[in-house]
Amino acid sequence: MSHPAQATQPIGEDGATRLESFKYDDAIVRKFVLATVLWGVVGMLVGLIIAVQLALPAANLGLEWTSFGRLRPLHTNAVIFAFAGNALFAAIYYSTQRLCKARMFSDVLSNLHFWGWQAIIVSAALTLPFGITQGKEYAELEWPIDLAIAVVWLGFFGVNFFGTLAVRRERHMYVALWFYIATIVTVTMLHVFNSLAIPVTLTKSYSVYAGVQDAFMQWWYGHNAVAFFLTTPFLGLMYYFLPKAAEKPVYSYRLSIVHFWSLVFMYIWAGPHHLHYTALPAWASTLGMLFSVMLWMPSWGGMINGLLTLRGAWNRVAVDPILKFYVLGITFYGMATFEGPMLSIKSVNALSHYTDWTIAHVHSGALGWNGFMSFGMIYWLLPRLFQTNLWSKKLMSTHLWIGTIGILLYVIPIYTGGITQGLMWRAFDASGRLAFPDFVETVTALMPFCWIRVVGGLLYFVGVLMLALNTVMTVLNRAKVYDEPIITAPALAPRYIDPPVPETQLAGNLGVALAADSVFVSGWFHRVWERKPLKFTILAIVAVVTASLFEIIPTFLISSNVPTIASVKPYTPLELAGREIYIAEGCYNCHSQMIRPIWAETKRYGEYSKPGEFVYDHPFQWGSRRIGPDLAREGGRQSNDWHVRHFKNPRDLNANSIMPTYEHLLNQPLDFEGIQRRVDVMAMLGVPYGENVKSGKAIEAARVQAKQMAEDLVKQGGFEGMGDKKVIALVAYLQRLGKDISQPADAPAAPAVAPTARETFKAGDKVLSANVSAKEGAR
Amino acid sequence: MSTAHSHSPSVVHGSAPQDLVHGARSRDHLSDHEYDGIREYDNPTPGWWHLIFIGSVFFSIMYIAYYHFSPIAWSIEKAWQAEQNAEVKRLFAGKVLTPDEAGILAVAADEPLMQYAAGTFQTNCAACHAKDGGGINGVNLTDDHYKNIKKIPDFYTVITNGANNGAMPSWRTNFSDNERVLLAAYVMKLRGTTPASAKPPEGEVLPPFPKPTK
Repeated sequence: MSHPAQATQPIGEDGATRLESFKYDDAIVRKFVLATVLWGVVGMLVGLIIAVQLALPAANLGLEWTSFGRLRPLHTNAVIFAFAGNALFAAIYYSTQRLCKARMFSDVLSNLHFWGWQAIIVSAALTLPFGITQGKEYAELEWPIDLAIAVVWLGFFGVNFFGTLAVRRERHMYVALWFYIATIVTVTMLHVFNSLAIPVTLTKSYSVYAGVQDAFMQWWYGHNAVAFFLTTPFLGLMYYFLPKAAEKPVYSYRLSIVHFWSLVFMYIWAGPHHLHYTALPAWASTLGMLFSVMLWMPSWGGMINGLLTLRGAWNRVAVDPILKFYVLGITFYGMATFEGPMLSIKSVNALSHYTDWTIAHVHSGALGWNGFMSFGMIYWLLPRLFQTNLWSKKLMSTHLWIGTIGILLYVIPIYTGGITQGLMWRAFDASGRLAFPDFVETVTALMPFCWIRVVGGLLYFVGVLMLALNTVMTVLNRAKVYDEPIITAPALAPRYIDPPVPETQLAGNLGVALAADSVFVSGWFHRVWERKPLKFTILAIVAVVTASLFEIIPTFLISSNVPTIASVKPYTPLELAGREIYIAEGCYNCHSQMIRPIWAETKRYGEYSKPGEFVYDHPFQWGSRRIGPDLAREGGRQSNDWHVRHFKNPRDLNANSIMPTYEHLLNQPLDFEGIQRRVDVMAMLGVPYGENVKSGKAIEAARVQAKQMAEDLVKQGGFEGMGDKKVIALVAYLQRLGKDISQPADAPAAPAVAPTARETFKAGDKVLSANVSAKEGAR
Repeated sequence: MSTAHSHSPSVVHGSAPQDLVHGARSRDHLSDHEYDGIREYDNPTPGWWHLIFIGSVFFSIMYIAYYHFSPIAWSIEKAWQAEQNAEVKRLFAGKVLTPDEAGILAVAADEPLMQYAAGTFQTNCAACHAKDGGGINGVNLTDDHYKNIKKIPDFYTVITNGANNGAMPSWRTNFSDNERVLLAAYVMKLRGTTPASAKPPEGEVLPPFPKPTK
């Protein structure tokens, strides 16, 4: 029953089994491996810098380009798409060729893919620090880069991969290839539909979605970027490189079938768990939670298959750092995929959301699973690709231990800090008031944890430097001329007869059960799919598209999801310009704009946010982390003067603030001329801007509002000459946040001038705006 | 086979492997799949895996049935509203709060309400006036000088309508009438306290306020 596969396969009737000779393309794998190491160093260095900034705000040197809000997207993009991206490409290019017994379909496409992807990474590094961003997490890159990503990912990588499947010489596709297929088709779908935007200029675009729908699409994307960029390709990596390094058979073929399909189908639904208690409709939130809970076992299927493959090899694990990297990586995967479902439970999420708990969770996944699986693969590949010994096995072993200690020193304090802050936010004292009424108290309490995190991150980074050193030295000692063995394998025969359905192992005479056992439980049906890449790919697409549509269609079509609030009006032209500065500075990286219906939260920030308040927000800016306080009801809470002083130096007003200084906003001129085009694009997206802001009038309206605000600023004792500076637009935007809900419904749309504090509140007294809830109706 | 001499996985075929630590694993049998030397066992999925998976599906069905289709489950918003109502009842039940001098003085004598108001002040007013009222960007509320206050009800008026061209914002929509009376009393009582850091006086000196009385 266990003859080598080739020998047992029936040969087509025409007997076409001509032997073919070919070589694997390892040059492209070498490129991807070196890029992985390079971008690993860069991405993690940026991570270390922003970790220091959280504890020591002055570490940004007061430069606008190095502030936390601009560097954090650079860090996340660099480690996800540059480091992990190149690692998964290295894994796919090395293993796919061998699993298909074929060279990559096209060397030209391989190189276009490699250089195109590196160009995208460089363009990210050249845009994000300059505030060029779409303002959606992990999808920040602007539209020309988005287009390039689509071309490189599907046009170069996808075509090359599926072309290789088409010319393969191995009849059946191994489980690693299933995961690669799911990765390529799903990432394409996620990227294209989340990034749909209307360009305003070459470096600015507005999401076609707004508010609740944009939030839904963003986290459908964001969660599944984790699933299909950081999980499925790395499971594929595991399925190839782990049994290779362990020299052991994979534990269970049947488990790989069940966990692959359940994982691919269920992951897609889970996105809304990032939006619990928000203005997202409750049904979507529930689906997100439940599919996350159901996803626990499908995720663990991968962990079981990984760890149990090492049965009988633990003596090797004890002496082989590569296997140790894999064991630790898979263990962190197991912990993260238990923690994920737990965090997705609404009541747990009520505590964890907006805190560092989430940051600890993703880093145990990223540093442990993605990092260690990549490192194990690279150390295994280096001697094979460069055809020499690894420069230092001792240094590899040191990397393992310093990396492990680094992860623990990173995640443990941040878990502690996250839970601490979450509990502080919701703590009440005996008099019924918030026990920590001042937000900054809950930040100051975290500072010791932030410093320990810096130490942990530093250790992990030193480990990556060790990898880089080992890589460079190994490359320097590489073979003078690479030996490229010629592989011979028979081409696939045009026809193939599947082996007979196996005998059932069940006893009894229940026909249906016996048939089900032999066809399904044995995996026979799946064996047939495995030799049909097109059918397999279509089935994978059907799984992810069906799962997506179950949530997307109701989100967009059921109007009761977003009850209209008559008093919510579009932003004025000046406020719109200010919103763009808010996005460019990356304010959403530290400030949420979403007050949840949680008692401690409304006590701190005011009336909870309603879906109808965000209908003109292209893109939404709800945020996912409160390093600073929520801003959903910031409008009117401070004077214009306070805001300008606060931007100049937050510590002038709050000694313990860790917010960066934004003095450049007080000096840089506001681009009034560009405002008209922005208003026009918003109008195109359906924002009801009337005639009074068309054909140049928006610019005039912005100037009038800015002038009046600047005059008010001076009267308030504030700075002079701010009327044509960026800061005036940003303050105008902040002063608008969360105000509309308490306005009378017949207030004029898009007023040419901002209502002053006195005019704004003609609405009359209101008791805790409870009537707003009534107006909004049932949700 | 044993692990010691298996350099290439392709030699792993034949009988079930013997695990030297855990003994024979007679249930394992290799499938005939082989890819680049990688083999696969045909082991069944673990029983506990099935149980938890099926259990999670069952939990999900029950959860939806309870929270989305049963009349007894509360929505998140309804639970919030209940807490809100209980809070209003706890603070203000049986009390008539009026924004005139007598009303503010009466509230100022209500110690639990003043403790509560301290929290509201620190959450919402400390950004400009400092936690202890010493003043940062906003005026010092602890000294005898007042810019916009002439008499006690003005505390309520300034909080409600704002002052100084918006330097002091209006808090009309942020707080209920009752909460603004509480805040007015709390700010009035800050006079004469000693802040950690006091902003220089602004405005006119007012005569002492009457003592808070029930």
